[in-house]
Amino acid sequence: MNTSTNHTSLPLLSLSKTIEVALNTAMRLDDEQGKAFTPLEDKVISLTLTPIESPLYLIVTNTRISVQTTLQGEADAGIQTTLIDFASLPIQRQLPHAKLSGDTQLAQDFINALCTLDIDWEEQLSHYTGDLIAFKIGHGIRSFFNAQQGVKDTVSQTLKEFLQFEIEAVPTQSQVKRFCHEVDDTTTQTNALEARINTLLTPS
Amino acid sequence: MSQTKPTIDFGFTDVPLQEKVKKVKGVFDSVAGNYDIMNDVMSLGVHRLWKRHTIELSGIRPGKVVLDLAGGTGDLTKEFAKRVGKEGKVVLADINESMVRVGRDRLINAGITGNVEYTITNAEALAFPDNTFDLATIAFGLRNVTNKDKALEELYRVLKPGGQLMILEFSKVTQPLFAKFYDFYSFNILPKMGKMIANDEASYQYLAESIRMHPDQETLKQMMLTAGFDKAEYLNMSEGIVALHRGWKY
Repeated sequence: MNTSTNHTSLPLLSLSKTIEVALNTAMRLDDEQGKAFTPLEDKVISLTLTPIESPLYLIVTNTRISVQTTLQGEADAGIQTTLIDFASLPIQRQLPHAKLSGDTQLAQDFINALCTLDIDWEEQLSHYTGDLIAFKIGHGIRSFFNAQQGVKDTVSQTLKEFLQFEIEAVPTQSQVKRFCHEVDDTTTQTNALEARINTLLTPS
Repeated sequence: MSQTKPTIDFGFTDVPLQEKVKKVKGVFDSVAGNYDIMNDVMSLGVHRLWKRHTIELSGIRPGKVVLDLAGGTGDLTKEFAKRVGKEGKVVLADINESMVRVGRDRLINAGITGNVEYTITNAEALAFPDNTFDLATIAFGLRNVTNKDKALEELYRVLKPGGQLMILEFSKVTQPLFAKFYDFYSFNILPKMGKMIANDEASYQYLAESIRMHPDQETLKQMMLTAGFDKAEYLNMSEGIVALHRGWKY
């Protein structure tokens, strides 16, 4: 029999531990050792990662973060974002659709501190592989991402040209501008005509 | 006229009331050095999950004052100290000096300093004023206490109004088939592992026996209410191998 009304599910427990380990590892490897979190000391941030409904509570103490699933009282600030956005924070370096609550400045400072974490992966890797291999791996990864970006740009440009010029399914930017300009002109002329008609209809 | 001395269980053996403290001390003096590694081996590492769950449910926050009674080698103290921050405080208290020494060294080595105090104290006569702590925990310690009712009264006394007591302790397995396997493990495998790893079969035989002599979930909950707690509830973990009892003082 279980008489408890408030307990934490195993997946949520695992998530809180995973986030705690990830954040503290990032802070430890950060060039500044997580110094950006110092002004947030002894503050509690509530973090809701949709679609998970239960919030996690992040406690910042002594440039480390503890994560837990329950909290006595209210958090100082709240951040609601998606799990995917939060997971891609190290790459995106922003939480564009985050909803902030409570002390919003504190919440923003926390996001900013997360975004400033800067880990020199090559340096960390070199401890295990030596400088040369770490550089080659780093260079390979950078080349991969550059090539990936290049492919993405080329595909994007080709698709754009096909849609705009080959099948003319969508207008170009200048066509849209011209169209908007013509709408503005028509609106102005219509307003002028309306004013003239009103003048003619008004008995002198 | 002969007068029989009051006795108490020490595992499956009855010993004079005053003897239990000495005997428990002997057990923990013996296992202190290998306590952490044995916990990992005995529970296959699951004790970490039980403790993590306890910390999560405490809802602790910066500035709070915590008593980790029977804190032993400091697993809970370490995590609470990280959470209460420099404005809060954690007191690691244990009746056994050897365990406190191991715990203190371990925490200092882990860089946990400044907001932790260490004290040797008997759970039945806590050396703290009334209404001192926001949270008190006793993890895998209550079953070794001679007078559990008195210890619960003391824990109630030192809690602040609104404070919470958390008791993490081995309990009664709820699934009958699993209970049979668990009994076999406890009485046949566990002492042998104690002999192999810590060269101490007797202490681990006592651990297994003391778990069976400990009050079951409902009994302990009732004891908490009798001791004065205004609300008590429990949560079974791992089919009741361990139960987390929580009591509140309003």
